[in-house]
Amino acid sequence: MARRSKENQALFMLIVGLLAWLVPGAGHFALKEKKRSIIIFATIVLTFCVGLYVGSIGVIDLVGATPWYVALAQIMNSPMVALLGRLTTGGAYPVYGWPNEIGQIYTSTAGLLNLLCIVNAVYLAHLRSAETAGG
Amino acid sequence: MSVEAIFVIVSFTAPKEIGANPQSMLWLLPLAAAIAVVYKATKLPTITVRNFIKEAAILFGSIVVFIIITALALYTLAWLITE
Repeated sequence: MARRSKENQALFMLIVGLLAWLVPGAGHFALKEKKRSIIIFATIVLTFCVGLYVGSIGVIDLVGATPWYVALAQIMNSPMVALLGRLTTGGAYPVYGWPNEIGQIYTSTAGLLNLLCIVNAVYLAHLRSAETAGG
Repeated sequence: MSVEAIFVIVSFTAPKEIGANPQSMLWLLPLAAAIAVVYKATKLPTITVRNFIKEAAILFGSIVVFIIITALALYTLAWLITE
């Protein structure tokens, strides 16, 4: 019985983490933290869009980007970013210099903020599960 | 699709012209604001509009002040080394 409860708890945390990764703020939304989820979604999407506006969609580069940028901006962000990156492969949208720097900083910061929210959502899910299990 | 929508989409396909000048440092301000807002959204136990804005503004101010202090310290260090 206790083992089954532990498995359910792990599954719940996994689902919350996955939701938070797919859509920024969705993990908190699943935990019925609607205000938090709206703030997180709006801020992360806006930060990401500012990066794209400044540097163009060319900053999302799956092929020529440095590993740190791939990790921060394209893995930590929603997988929709990777889909967007498929549009820009082949150097169709070249971007250099300062706009590229600012665009990459903004999009990778959006990725880091998303990671923070994923961890926070999973932690909240863990606390909720522990409270439920504790009675 | 409306002309406005096409204009918005097209504006994301070409980079903006931003020179490497002191004013371009102001781009850190929206970023610091975003970090402050998301951090406080994850850390506050309960979110009320007034408290949230106050806490996020304090964190935003702290980040900016710390950056200014760091910049001044680095500027002083560079001045001491080069003079």
